[in-house]
Formats: sequence, structure tokens, C-alpha cells
Amino acid sequence: MLDLNSLSARIVFALLLGLIGVFLFFPIYWLVISAFKGNSELYRIVPTLYPHDLTLEHFRTAFGRGRLGQQLQNSLLVSCSAAALNTVLAMYAGYSFAKFRYEGRRAVMVVLLSAQVFPFGLLLISLYPMVTDLGLIDTHLGLILSYIVFALPVSTYMLFSYFSQIPGEMIEAARADGAGELRIFHTIVLPVSVPALVTVFLYGFMWSWNDLLYAMTLLVSENKRTVGPGMLLAYLNEVNADWGGAMAASIVASAPIVVVFAFLQRWFIQGVTAGSVK
Amino acid sequence: MQSQSATSTMPGFAVSPLAERGGLKARERRVGWLFLVPALVAFVLVIALPFVRALALAFTRNDLQTPVPRFVGLDNFVALARMPEIAQSFAVTAAYVVLVTAFTLLLGLAWALILNQPFRGQTLLRAASLIPWVLPSTVTAFIWGWIFNSRYGVLNAALVEMGVIPLPTAWLSTSFGAMVAIVMTKVWFSIPLFMSFFLAGLQSLDREQMDAARVDGAGNWALLRDHILPHLRPVLLVVVVLGVIGNLQHFDTIYALTGGGPVRATAVLSIEVYRRAFDQWDIGMASALGLLWVTTIMPAAYFYLRHLLKGV
Repeated sequence: MLDLNSLSARIVFALLLGLIGVFLFFPIYWLVISAFKGNSELYRIVPTLYPHDLTLEHFRTAFGRGRLGQQLQNSLLVSCSAAALNTVLAMYAGYSFAKFRYEGRRAVMVVLLSAQVFPFGLLLISLYPMVTDLGLIDTHLGLILSYIVFALPVSTYMLFSYFSQIPGEMIEAARADGAGELRIFHTIVLPVSVPALVTVFLYGFMWSWNDLLYAMTLLVSENKRTVGPGMLLAYLNEVNADWGGAMAASIVASAPIVVVFAFLQRWFIQGVTAGSVK
Repeated sequence: MQSQSATSTMPGFAVSPLAERGGLKARERRVGWLFLVPALVAFVLVIALPFVRALALAFTRNDLQTPVPRFVGLDNFVALARMPEIAQSFAVTAAYVVLVTAFTLLLGLAWALILNQPFRGQTLLRAASLIPWVLPSTVTAFIWGWIFNSRYGVLNAALVEMGVIPLPTAWLSTSFGAMVAIVMTKVWFSIPLFMSFFLAGLQSLDREQMDAARVDGAGNWALLRDHILPHLRPVLLVVVVLGVIGNLQHFDTIYALTGGGPVRATAVLSIEVYRRAFDQWDIGMASALGLLWVTTIMPAAYFYLRHLLKGV
């Protein structure tokens, strides 16, 4: 807590608040208002600071010519599946690391976590022919499986940290009652871990929803495209870019992730920064 | 979900916990490994195998004329070492990573200190500050592409209006302008993450110690220098390492904004590898360059992993 009673401290504080605030929020403001400006107002050398004539024409083009509806559907399918798969894989591994002691545990952890630092672009070079050989190129399944690369390491670590805090007595008691290990995990550990599971699901969802690199490389057909490459190709591939349409589509494509995030940001931040701040 | 039903019928899971000691240890090992199986299978197939394969391909010729990889030893690396554009790509990458990490660090720290002060609307502002971070890459690229637009961009309009520049610049078509654009874009959406780490670190600040220092007459700067920054040192380290790893790998917004251009001014390693692999289909060269790229990430990765696995 800094002391803001002196005038100079207040001025520095207000100045920084204003400058960084403008840097962070003006682009978002500009995105939103640009989407509601008509073309005659949008393409001016000296822009208007707020829309004088509100119009929804760009949203109509986005869903019509821009095929945004289809892309959203594809993205939703791919991101939900990838996030669910990632959560399931990470939860068993995280539990194993947190609650079991065996030779090789630390070594496996090192290897699994180190995957986070392999460049995604490098993995893609050899994932591409592998996905092709499996007949999964240009399919949503191929993309979903490839997205494991993005989120699995960190997700596993996040759940590992969370499970580590669950008291061992709870598990021991259930074991003494003769419950099987899977049963203990599913009926005792998982129900108390919902916040962590939701966080990890959201983390995986965010990666796949926001990705451009993998989606644009592993999907080819126009009707299979997700929002990332879909929007890029729809609005910037022409000689004259349609900025109004790009802004409108951007708002629609960002809405789901921003809304979900608004509700879950607190858990989310705790999960992502967990273990890194000691 | 298939793996669940398959393993739940395994006999090993019903063993009584009252089994003798040695049995217990063996059981713990077995169950521990069984829980690992799904993630391990996925890891081997989707991460480890492609990685090893890419390593192997780095020592082969594998392009459109040579569809079947042919071992060529270190030829690719020798060729890369002779290409001036590769040296340039490393330089561009270094500049990008240093600039982005430094600016994000400064602004993220300042923003965290601001949002750590109690004021009305602080909670809302904290939540809203995360928005740039969660936007899809394409959206981020659109936002900044529109701001930096040469004819109708608001940045040119503002700078001309304020008399900073006499005429609008075509930002994305000049080496300097394109670099400014990709750096600003990355800084913009990385600030929230850095800020979150710093805020988490600031929460554990010892208030009594701070108050005592204040009673002793320490001003804001002294407090920042002697108490807050030393306290944030471990967080600072994590943030810098994470930032360097992320920035070294970043591809999406650079590709969408400049595609590595104009000419090669913003062709960082991620772009260079992608271009070689998926535009020129020179897999051997792309893998070799990718291997060099990995080695640049290794030092940062080492520190990061060591930190994560402290006490595990």
C-alpha cells in the first residue's frame, strides 16, 4: 500500500492510472464502437470518437457472408471437446502425482511438465504428417487431439497443486471402508474439486478457442473452420479489408470467452498463479 | 471416458487396505501408475513422439523433391549457419523478446501496484484488466491492425492531430513500424497475466513491516525499493521466465498482423519455422531451425521447471 497523501504521489498515481488504463482499455473501446459505425463513418481520415449513426449492418454481414454462425459452432464443438478431454487426462495424472508415492514419479512429472516449453510450432511440423497418416487431417477430431499439446502440462500441474491440498485422511478413511481407488477418486475427491476442474476446463477451452496456428494448419475446408482462422481469412484475405465486419465478428467471437471469464476469473487466476508464487 | 470403465473392472483395485506392508507399497505404485496411463498415452502420442520425430527430421533432407527423408547429418545446420536471413531472424527474435518482456514487466508491475491500492471501482477494474488476455489471437490482431491502419487508423489520426508526425505513416509496411506494432500488441495482452502474478505476490506483503518502515520515515520510493521489490523477487523471476518462454514461442498475432514482413523485418523464429515448413514444405530445414529454436528456450525452461518442482 503506497501513501497517496502527498500531492506529487497523487499526480504520479493518476498519471500512471490514466496512461496504462488508456493503453489497456482504449483498444477495446475502439473495437466496440468501430463495429457499430457505418462504412461512411468508419473510413474517415479523422475518425469520430463515438458512432454518430449506430448501425448493425456489420453484424449482418458477419453472420451472412462471413459465415460466422458456422465458425462459432465449429469452435464450440472443438473447444468443448478439447477442454473436456484435457480435463479428464489431467485429473487422473494430477491425482496420481499428488496422492501416490512411487519410483519414477518425479521423473515423469519433469518430462510431462517440460512439454509446456516445447514450441507448439515445432511439434506441429511432425504432428501434421502424423495426423495426415491417421486420416484425421481436415477433421475436427484431429484438431481436438492435437490441442492436448497446449493445455495438458499446465492443467496437470494445476490439478496436482489442488489435489495436494486435499487431506489424506479423507482418502484413508474411505480406503479403510474398503472402497476401490477409482471409486474414492470419483465419489470423494472429484466432488470437492469442482472449482479446480472448472478452472482447468476453462483453461483448455481458452487455449483452443483462441488458437490460430493449429486451426489454420490442420483444417482446410471452409465449412470446418473455427473462428480464429475463419475470421482471418474472411476479412483480411481480400484486397480491400472489411474492417467493420472484422470488428463485429470480433465482438461476437470474444463474447463467449469474456462472459464465462467474468464469472470465473477469481478461481481462474488462483489456479493459474498457484504454485508459481511462494 | 472409456478408460474409466475399463480400469474400474480391474481386480487390483479391490485389494484390502489391510494388506501387509510390502503389498501396500507395491499397490500404491501400481495404482499410481494406472492413474497416469491416460495422460501418459496422450503425452507420448501427441507430444513426445512428434518432438522426437522433429529432432530426427532435423538431420534429414525432406522437402518437395525428397518426400522420403534422407539422412544428411549436419548439412541443414551448416546451410542455416550460412544464411544471413537466419542470423537476422535470431536478431529479430531477440529484440522482440527483450522489448516485449521488459515493457510488460514494467507496465504489469505498475498496474499491479495501482490496483493494489484501495479505491472505488478497484475490483471491477481488476476484472476488466484481464480482458485483453482472454481475447482470441485473431481478434487481438484485428484490433491492433485497425488501430495501426495506414489510412484510417486512429493512431495516425491522433499523432498527426497532435503534431507528433506531419503525415500518416504506413506502420505495418516499414521495418520499424511493424516491429512497434507487434511489440505493442503482445505487451497489451500480456500485461494482465503479469499483473495477476504481481497482485498475488503483493497479497502476502507484510503490512506491519511496511507500517513500521513508514513510521521510520520511509517514503514511497524507499518502500518500493527496500520492501516491495525485494518481496516480489521470486514472483519477478517466475514472470520473467514465463514471459521469455511465451514470447520466444509466440506466433499468432505476429502472423496475423505482419506475416513476418515487411520483407523479413518481423520474421521471428516461430514465423520462420512455419514458413519453411508449411509454405515451402522444407521439413528438414524447418525441423533443424526448430531444434535451434528449442535450444534458445532451454535455459528459461530449466529455471521454470526447477521452480515448479521445488519440494515435489
